[in-house]
Amino acid sequence: MPAAPRPHRAAHPRRRGAARAYSRPALSKGILTGADDASTIRLAPLPADVAQRTGVAAVSLDHGRREVLLDDGERVGYDGLVLATGARAATLTDIGSADPGAVETVLRDLDDARALAGRLVTRPRVLVVGGGVLGTEVASACVAAGCEVTVVGRDAPLLPQLGAHLADVVVAAARRHGVRFAHHEGGVRLRGAGPATTVDLADGRRFEADLVITAIGCRPNVEWLAGSGLLPARHRGGLAVDDRCRLVPGVVAAGDVAAFPGPTGHRRSPLWTSAIEQAGTAAAALLRADAAPLVPRPYFWTEQFGLALKACGALPVAGPPAVVDGDPDVGGALLRWPETTAVSINQRVPIARLRALALAG
Amino acid sequence: MKITVDRDRCEGYGLCEERAPRLVHLDDDGELVVDVDEIPAERVAEAQDAARVCPVAALRIGA
Repeated sequence: MPAAPRPHRAAHPRRRGAARAYSRPALSKGILTGADDASTIRLAPLPADVAQRTGVAAVSLDHGRREVLLDDGERVGYDGLVLATGARAATLTDIGSADPGAVETVLRDLDDARALAGRLVTRPRVLVVGGGVLGTEVASACVAAGCEVTVVGRDAPLLPQLGAHLADVVVAAARRHGVRFAHHEGGVRLRGAGPATTVDLADGRRFEADLVITAIGCRPNVEWLAGSGLLPARHRGGLAVDDRCRLVPGVVAAGDVAAFPGPTGHRRSPLWTSAIEQAGTAAAALLRADAAPLVPRPYFWTEQFGLALKACGALPVAGPPAVVDGDPDVGGALLRWPETTAVSINQRVPIARLRALALAG
Repeated sequence: MKITVDRDRCEGYGLCEERAPRLVHLDDDGELVVDVDEIPAERVAEAQDAARVCPVAALRIGA
C-alpha cells in the first residue's frame, strides 16, 4: 500500500510545445473557419493543487518501481497512475496504403489546424480521404473557405458512424454545398512521394487535388508503454480496461487511449464526452475500492454544412426514426429511435430532455 | 466569483449543467441560464469543473 500521499501530477506525453489545454472539438470547426483562435478555445486551468508539467513527454513506465520516466530524464513516482495519453491521427502510410515518401496532411492538434487554415486561404482544390465525422467536418470547413472538395474513402460517407438515415441527412446537405463523394470497399491508395496530391480508389478511379487531407481515424498513443509489461501484443485497439477503467491494480486509463468494455468487446470511443465520463470513473476507481462501474451515456455531436446535430444514445442507428418535432427536410427536427437514441438537428433541446427521449420506449 | 457565458459560443451541449446543476441549467429552449450571481465559495470548484467540460470553452469563471 502507498506510504505517504504524493502531490497530484499531470504530465503529457507527446505534446509538442507547451500549449495550455484547449478544446479539440473546436479545431475542425472554429479554428479551420477562422472563427476561433488559440485564446478562445483555451480550457479553464487545472486546480491549483495539481502540479502540471507541460512540454515534456513520458517515455517509459516502470510499474514495479511505480515510476514514469520523462524525456528530460526525470523520474516521477506515483501511488496511482492515470494513463490518458490520447491518440494521434492515423495515416494511410500507417495502414500500408501510401506510396513510399508520401507526406500526409492530418488534423489532430492546434498546430495542424493552424497550418491547414493557412493553406485554405489560397482556396486549393481539396481531396479529403475518409468519410467519417472528422472527414466531413473538414470538408465543411474547406467548403466554407471557398474550396472545391471531394471526399473519398472505403465506406459510404458517415454510414458506419451514424447509420443510413442520419448519414443521408448530412450527406444531402454536403452535396447541396457542392461536395462530391466517392467510395469503394477496396479502399484508397495515396500515390507519389512528397506532399500528397493524387489518390487512387480501388475501382480504378484517380482523384487529383492541390491538397489531400487524411482523416481516417486515430491511433492510441501506447508505444511508450512497451517494456512496461502493461501493453498487450495487440494494442492498436488501445488499453483494454474493465468497467471501472482499471488496467491493473494502481493503474487506470481514460479517454482516447482507453478501450472500454461493451456488448461488442473492448472498443475505444474517442469522443469528448466519453473522455469526461471515463476520467471520473477512473479517478474514483483509483481512490476507492468500492467505486461504481461506468455505465456509458453516449452523447455525440457534429456541426457541418449548416447542420448542428446532437445525439444521445447509441450510434449508428438502424431504420427510420419517429419524428418527435419539426421537419427534417425543413429547418430543425427532433428524432428518436425508441429505447435507443434521440437526435436533435438544428434545434436546441435541453440535454436532459434528449437523454430522456433516447431512453423512452 | 461569477460565471460568464459567451452567448456566441454556447451551443447548448449541456455538459456544464450535468456537472453543476445548482449553478447553471438549460431552459426549455435549450438556452443556458446562470442561476447564481455570485458563486458560493463552496461551489467554486464545481463551477470550474463545469467550465472545463464545455467543449466550446463558452464559460468563464472570474471576478
